[in-house]
Amino acid sequence: MTQTSMLRQITDFANRANPYPLYEELRKTPVLHEEEDGPYIISTYHDIEALLHDPRISSDESNVTVGGDDELSGPEATGLPPSFIRLDPPEHDRLRRIANSSFGPPHRPHRIDDMRGQLEEIITELIDGLGDAREIDLVDQVAYPFPVTVICRLLGVPREDEPRFRAWVDPIVAGLDPDSRTAAESQRTAQEARLQLGMYLNGLVEQRTKEPREDMLSDLVHSSGPDGAMTTMEVLSTAVLLLIAGHETTVNLITNGMLTLLRYPQYLERLRDDPGLSVRIVEELLRYEPPVQLLPQRTCIADLEVHGVTIPKGSRIWFVLAAGNRDPHRFTDPDRFDPDRQDIQHLGFGSGIHSCFGAPLARLEAQIALARLAGRLDNPRLVEDPPPYRPNAVLRGPRHLNISVDGIK
Amino acid sequence: MRLVVDLNRCQGYAQCAFLAPDVFAMHGEESLVYNPQAEQEQRERVARAVAACPVQAITADGLDGCAGGTSDAAH
Repeated sequence: MTQTSMLRQITDFANRANPYPLYEELRKTPVLHEEEDGPYIISTYHDIEALLHDPRISSDESNVTVGGDDELSGPEATGLPPSFIRLDPPEHDRLRRIANSSFGPPHRPHRIDDMRGQLEEIITELIDGLGDAREIDLVDQVAYPFPVTVICRLLGVPREDEPRFRAWVDPIVAGLDPDSRTAAESQRTAQEARLQLGMYLNGLVEQRTKEPREDMLSDLVHSSGPDGAMTTMEVLSTAVLLLIAGHETTVNLITNGMLTLLRYPQYLERLRDDPGLSVRIVEELLRYEPPVQLLPQRTCIADLEVHGVTIPKGSRIWFVLAAGNRDPHRFTDPDRFDPDRQDIQHLGFGSGIHSCFGAPLARLEAQIALARLAGRLDNPRLVEDPPPYRPNAVLRGPRHLNISVDGIK
Repeated sequence: MRLVVDLNRCQGYAQCAFLAPDVFAMHGEESLVYNPQAEQEQRERVARAVAACPVQAITADGLDGCAGGTSDAAH
């Protein structure tokens, strides 16, 4: 092949800061299959939306029979049974229903709404902690510590254990980045941290089994609905899933959000005057700069025909959500960041049965963080544009976001 | 305040039931139950639900100046 394949260009770090021209190119071939064992890449809005609702699409790794692991879709080495993100119905449905019964309506309609005050407190503490700095790193100082603290409160990790908990989570999250220079070392550290975290959570689950409290771990082990309770192993893999899936993604949503607002300062100004605008800003961010750029872990359990192309059973399929979100056949003026947009049915949280479980919490975290940052950072400016990015092409976002300010209000 | 949900559009994302749990509730897995005459004190929450509904199925009056605003308030 004389030209570099689209797949290589997507994974190429040089394109991380602005992958959108590549996605535009991708959409010209709605079903792209470049290499014999490579994935079938789907990039237009309506195809992604339709296939994410197609029961022939599977998230179960064991259904992949064509080709090996590609760079983006290797199995998670957690030592735990697969969590519901990597399962198909009916196992997926059972575990997700139990998890949902302790998270949202109909059983727990107030769980997330009741956390609003806590989220405000946590973000206030983090912003207070910036002190009188004139330059801050939004990632390390705010966007990164925020979601992990929130997930601790949600699961029921005691406050005194939060620092220990965070010390395990950091290397695990760092290990998600396929950075080849430090791969072996960081994988070892991540593996060790997973083990420690697993043992810690196991102890906490035991405690909550004996003495339930008002937290998600207690609910998961005591769930008494028609689906029964989760086993300890299921609780552990669900807790790790919520932790990992809810962490990096939220960091990137907040960081991409601040980056975008600094590039479009008229909206930062409007947000300062009207914190309620954060709702619309976050929805548009999920379309314009989605934290999960593509879903690389699907396959099909039967031959599929899409636009005359046959995708053989067992092939890997990538759904490039970020390309679908900018499909001009779906959105007017798709490359424009426009929080006033009325038609905003984005793919930022996926779609179908695996549609993001934590979406309501992620929305709330990002809304609160961005509204408070807009209100309290005095005259914020980007120190460098584009900022340095993380290596990861799937969970895409800046590694640092250095911002200079005149002060913190 | 009055509100209406276009149930032909509603896809059961349940985001409204998270954002305004005293106005919108899920009945079982998929059906939505809501109070069409929500209390005035729920304005902010309803406004957030209107703005966050992925399919824009919710219409409410009297939300000017609230979270996310309404289509009239957008400019």
